[in-house]
Amino acid sequence: MNERGQLYTIEGVAAGLIMLLTAYMIVGATTVYTPGDAHISDMQLEVLGSDALTMMDTPANSTVAESPLRQMIENDSYGGGQFKSMFMNYTNASGYGPVHNIQFSANYSYVNYPVDNSIQTGWINSSRSLTGGEHAVRVTKWVIVYKQLPGDTKIENRAVLVEVLLWRD
Amino acid sequence: MHDEAGNLSLDFLVGFTIFLLAFIWVATMVSGIMVNLQSSHIDYDAVAYRTGVILVEDPGWPASPAWELYGDNQKFSISRFGLAVSKESPGILSQDKINRFFCTSFIYPDDYQSRVIFGKYPYRFNISVTDLTTLRNQSVGDVLPDEYGYIRRLAKIKTDSNATIGPSYYIAHNYNNTGTPSDFNVTQHQFSILINGTRLLGDQRNPAYQIDPNTEPIMINLTNLNSTLWVKRPPVNPATKISLTGINVYVQHGNTLSLANTWKIPYIDGKSVSQVPPWPVIDNISLMIDPYNFSIMSAGYSNVYFNLTFNLMNNAGTSANGSFLNNTFSGPFDYNYNGANVTQPQLDDAVVEVAAW
Repeated sequence: MNERGQLYTIEGVAAGLIMLLTAYMIVGATTVYTPGDAHISDMQLEVLGSDALTMMDTPANSTVAESPLRQMIENDSYGGGQFKSMFMNYTNASGYGPVHNIQFSANYSYVNYPVDNSIQTGWINSSRSLTGGEHAVRVTKWVIVYKQLPGDTKIENRAVLVEVLLWRD
Repeated sequence: MHDEAGNLSLDFLVGFTIFLLAFIWVATMVSGIMVNLQSSHIDYDAVAYRTGVILVEDPGWPASPAWELYGDNQKFSISRFGLAVSKESPGILSQDKINRFFCTSFIYPDDYQSRVIFGKYPYRFNISVTDLTTLRNQSVGDVLPDEYGYIRRLAKIKTDSNATIGPSYYIAHNYNNTGTPSDFNVTQHQFSILINGTRLLGDQRNPAYQIDPNTEPIMINLTNLNSTLWVKRPPVNPATKISLTGINVYVQHGNTLSLANTWKIPYIDGKSVSQVPPWPVIDNISLMIDPYNFSIMSAGYSNVYFNLTFNLMNNAGTSANGSFLNNTFSGPFDYNYNGANVTQPQLDDAVVEVAAW
């Protein structure tokens, strides 16, 4: 009998078993599946935080020379809760949509000039301390301040990077 | 001889069937695993985000003249809504654009879909702007369903500038000094207001704080005019009446001053006028100069003078001599960036929300 071009039952069974085994291994492997819209809430939070920092760095009218954010960093007045109340007020401002219980932790960074050009960090404020379990997003804003930063020899215009981590409770 | 080439054997059929059944089962199972990972939200969120960006960061199109100046019968010339004051100042919204955007002459959803939502799919939506200072909320759209795409943007609303001047200002700037030997001997008085377009544009380059009569209304209130009225000393003659005989608008091109318009729509003592001048005045005059009426004069960024002419009359209707609001010799009232003259544009906090489904 000519057997050219023929498949045997055992080969079909083998192929089927291999497929099943592969599928079993794939399903059994440790994989973190991310829903397609996971980045949306991050994006919404990031836009909101970025907007809030922009608003805080905008003077209310042309007769006010400095923005509230700039004044707070120049006067170190954020410890009194001014930054906290303003930022929380902006991010949790009225409206519908997802729940607004947004928490934050903020600081600013600057170059330690002219000492050693290292990056130093100054604390601003937070609504809650970070435990490490938060799913936070980071927003930043460069702010020009007229201030004698630690290590500086005189008062001058310096750029500081305000960084805010924010998350929903 | 029996030729078997090209025939299928029973053995092959069984093997291939087992293979196919296993393949179909695995394919079905694997795709089922992913079912809970799919999301119908993504598209709606993206549309809401895009709409939010257009509204908050774009001034709309046409830009010059701005789309908000188009009347209802020209609304088909508007190709894109946008609420930003200018593209150089994203996040700063124009109150006039907001008012026009929420105007009921635009029909929901058709007029909005083609100008701000875009896309071929007929999305439903709800757009709202809340001024956090005045707590005024304006919105357009449907009632929200259970599931929708959403974005919230924070912005500032630029309020219009205005000038309100009263007795202390008149005295400080000699606005009741006619310059004649006797201040009490004049029947006709003139008060000039200067809008220096070139300086308004040049002195403040940030569109967020700029005063531009070509795009935003400006308002000038003259209050307590009676306090400048001084007919006889002593006593003050209470019977003297003030009559505003006209408001001429002059535009300066080079060294030439030409009459561009006669202003017929002042507010006198809190009311708009319907008849032709002269208008009797008791105490207050307001000029609301909106971009549309300003553009009619083709003033552009030249010097524009609003010249108010007053007559003083006694009870019998005959002219009375006296001192009154008059800046012929003290110079025109300058509408500028001096906070003592003009209440500057203010930036109010606002929230813009877009939901799409």
